[in-house]
Amino acid sequence: MRAVRGLGTFVKALLGLGMAAICWAAFLWARPAQNFVGESSRIVFFHVPMAWVSTLAFFIAAWHSAVYLKKRRMENDDAAAGAARLGFVFCLLATVTGSIFARVMWNSYWNWDPRETSIVLLLLVYGAYLGLRGALEDPERRATLSAAYALVAVVTVPFLTFAVPRMYESLHPDTVINARGRIEMSADIKTVFFSSMAAFMILFFWMWNLDRKVSRIVRERAA
Amino acid sequence: MSAPHKATGILPAAIAVFRRELLAEWRTRVAVNSLFLFAFAVLVLVAYAVGPTRLSPEDRPTVNAVLLWVVLFFSAMTGLSRTFVHEEDAGTAAALRLSAPPPSVLLGKLLANVALLGAVTAFIVPLFVVLMGFTIRDLPLFVLLLLLGTFGLASASTFTAALVSKASARGTLFAVLAIPLLLPPLVGAVLATRVAATETEFSAGLDFARLLVAYDGVVTTAAFLLFDAVWRE
Amino acid sequence: MRLSSGAMRLVAENLSRSFGRRAFGPVSFRVETGRVLGVAGENGSGKTTLLKTLAGLIRPSAGRAKIFLDDEEAGDGHEPRDIPWRIGWVAPDLALYGELTAEENLTFFERVRGLAPAPGRARTLLERVGLPSESHSQKSLSSLSTGQRQRVKLAFATLHEPDLLLLDEPGANLDEAGRSIVQKVVASQRLRGITVIASNDPRDLALSDERVTLS
Repeated sequence: MRAVRGLGTFVKALLGLGMAAICWAAFLWARPAQNFVGESSRIVFFHVPMAWVSTLAFFIAAWHSAVYLKKRRMENDDAAAGAARLGFVFCLLATVTGSIFARVMWNSYWNWDPRETSIVLLLLVYGAYLGLRGALEDPERRATLSAAYALVAVVTVPFLTFAVPRMYESLHPDTVINARGRIEMSADIKTVFFSSMAAFMILFFWMWNLDRKVSRIVRERAA
Repeated sequence: MSAPHKATGILPAAIAVFRRELLAEWRTRVAVNSLFLFAFAVLVLVAYAVGPTRLSPEDRPTVNAVLLWVVLFFSAMTGLSRTFVHEEDAGTAAALRLSAPPPSVLLGKLLANVALLGAVTAFIVPLFVVLMGFTIRDLPLFVLLLLLGTFGLASASTFTAALVSKASARGTLFAVLAIPLLLPPLVGAVLATRVAATETEFSAGLDFARLLVAYDGVVTTAAFLLFDAVWRE
Repeated sequence: MRLSSGAMRLVAENLSRSFGRRAFGPVSFRVETGRVLGVAGENGSGKTTLLKTLAGLIRPSAGRAKIFLDDEEAGDGHEPRDIPWRIGWVAPDLALYGELTAEENLTFFERVRGLAPAPGRARTLLERVGLPSESHSQKSLSSLSTGQRQRVKLAFATLHEPDLLLLDEPGANLDEAGRSIVQKVVASQRLRGITVIASNDPRDLALSDERVTLS
């Protein structure tokens, strides 16, 4: 069985320092963006990476689900479930921070614009996936059925992003990343933003690795 | 070593499964009764609470579209899981596993669920239109949406039913699993129904029809690809 | 009746299954064509799980079950789950459709298995297990007695003339007439292939040539 390689101590220390630096820079160094209410643009440094990571985690879970169905190795089930658990947490945080931002910016906690709707749908998928896992005792059944669900979800969920935008104008700020993908941020904001994206991704991989190691130990103990 | 060749007709076996489902349903009438009663009860509640007169004319297309699909959705949640759950509960699933090729099982049960949901839809929709004063300006589009939408509902529900049939807490779990899968087509169907209610030009709703066709195709294909792993140990 | 097209063999190598705790095994045996294997053991020793594994309904946790058909010698044989049409299974866990009659049940499974249409096959089979059509054709399966349902199960298991017949407590709920039917079924299976009987009842196990005991 392949060992789960963790992050080296150096990288972990770097991550810790990096995150601290990002938190500092997010609040004290980067200037607030224009077109935003007050200081609220700062949420971008946290909300967007979390939403991104939760989406990434979903695809990772789907990937490992597919591999599990093919190879039937429990390591893939550990990986899928771990990605889902973390993805759920990040998704929840993204939804909440998004809602807070919406309140500050547009004075209402929820607006059902396409991105908000997508993140809620993702939250529901995670909830359903974890709920299904919770209801199945036998490890192989649990792995197989949750893998099947993850794969059906991954092909059906994107449909929503095509149906909803047709009727609703997006309230999401375009000043950050607009539809054409061009990034219109000032240099200092860009620095902090991309550092934060990188840091959150490394954080996710670190936590995910830890989760996989623990899952394997628990599994081997039970056998 | 590959298994000795066995020409197992998927279609004849699926038809046999489908016919048996209908026959059993005809004799016991369990799913039909509960489904029709439920749909009718929800309809009565909606018609009474909202009715044709309490909505302003601009709101009517949207609200009616939403309510219609809510009724159909909850009907699906009530009645479409039985096909797999009952097999496990009654213990007949093992006999089926040993005898039928898995794609036939899924196809037969899918068709049975489509028939069941279709029957409920055919019953509820005219009543709804009448009781709610729901004017549909583009009837062909509306019918098309009903066909595509109910097929999608049935398809995703049937697969989800197979997933939950071996789990505990089936009732709530079924809905919990089905909702995220069904939100995309439901939203599309609602928006499209609104278009059908307000526009007379068929092409206005074609985008949504295409979306539903794509969704139906994707979810049904995924279900068939994954069913073997789900059905057998 | 289709006679065996060649010699077959059933081989189990360190077969075992666990659901958290161990259900049965590891067990190994080898059965040749025409033979009957008896599986004995107390309640809870895993006889039913073993038979389900041989039927392909359950995957083994460890070890292999291999079926060699038609004079195959070398190689890995077939896994039970890959050749469901060559295997028949009767068990207390098996249930057929209660809303249908016995004949409708058998006809359904004929169609679903893709058997070549043979009018009267279901009837003949039911007569052979002592359920003549005239008296039972209108009754739904759920209105039959347990013993009668057991006979229908035997008919179900032999409908497609399997090479491997797995009988889990075949005599359960059967009267003397029913037991002689089980004997007949086992006797005709000797001509076709292999039988495995799992039971606590010595009368059932008396039909076997070799025995394996689970603990």
